[in-house]
Amino acid sequence: MPSRAQCEAVLRQLWPFLDGMISETQREAILVHFEQCADCESHFDFAKAFLEAIAESKPYLDVDDGLSEKVMAALASEGFGGKSA
Amino acid sequence: MMPSPNDDQQQRTERDQAFAATALPHLSTIARVAMALTGDAADTEDLVQETFLRAYRHWHTFQAGSDCKSWLATICRHTFAEQRRRQNRSVAVDDQELESLAAARTHNAARSKGVDDMYARLDLGPAIANAIRALEPHYRDVVLLVDVDGFSYEEVATSLDVPVGTVRSRLYRARRQLQEALVDFAVDAGYASPSYTLPPTSSERRNA
Repeated sequence: MPSRAQCEAVLRQLWPFLDGMISETQREAILVHFEQCADCESHFDFAKAFLEAIAESKPYLDVDDGLSEKVMAALASEGFGGKSA
Repeated sequence: MMPSPNDDQQQRTERDQAFAATALPHLSTIARVAMALTGDAADTEDLVQETFLRAYRHWHTFQAGSDCKSWLATICRHTFAEQRRRQNRSVAVDDQELESLAAARTHNAARSKGVDDMYARLDLGPAIANAIRALEPHYRDVVLLVDVDGFSYEEVATSLDVPVGTVRSRLYRARRQLQEALVDFAVDAGYASPSYTLPPTSSERRNA
């Protein structure tokens, strides 16, 4: 059973691990820790599910039609879509 | 042989089709880049329009198959830099490892409140969008650019003219605030597991 200090050291690397911002050696050490500590792994899984949910929220954050229309009008004045500049 | 008017029209049509298929789908992403740069809705509209106009005028310099999103973001940043003097914005770098630890604590809180499976059970898209919009601008912008639009830390640091460490610090802080907001949302919306007894409300906790 890993010590609390070992778990804390792993948990301090949660975001860097999920963002792929740690070395291969660090990554492997964390994966070995997971084999002995399901609780730490569950924290990483929860955070990973969070990041996936954030990425999937993109359609709810897109710009409204108003800006899209303005950009299209500006491009049309530049000749986009067959209109002369 | 001189190109005929029909050849010229054909080239323009092909150019417009390529621009529409490759550049225009990034409109929302570039709007978020612009919002992060300007911090103002009206300035954002102007910057987005100018970005796409410049992109269209210089479409012949875009290399087919390369990363159009990054190309547009670069145009947006250069345009912004021309329009305004760069501001040196300094933000204290938080302890990034502590923010990672906080993520584990948030999971424990979700577990204790019976909503730790909320990402599997619920469509949180609208709640996430609302929570992101409620963040302070410099946290909101970074989480949008990295976690929603997929820019790298380095790209965001370059765009916002801040150190990479500041991007990371803001991102982790934003994620913690979002996680906490979503746990509260799931509990308040009554999504706790049926076997779970609801905890005191936040006002009850404050009064306890």
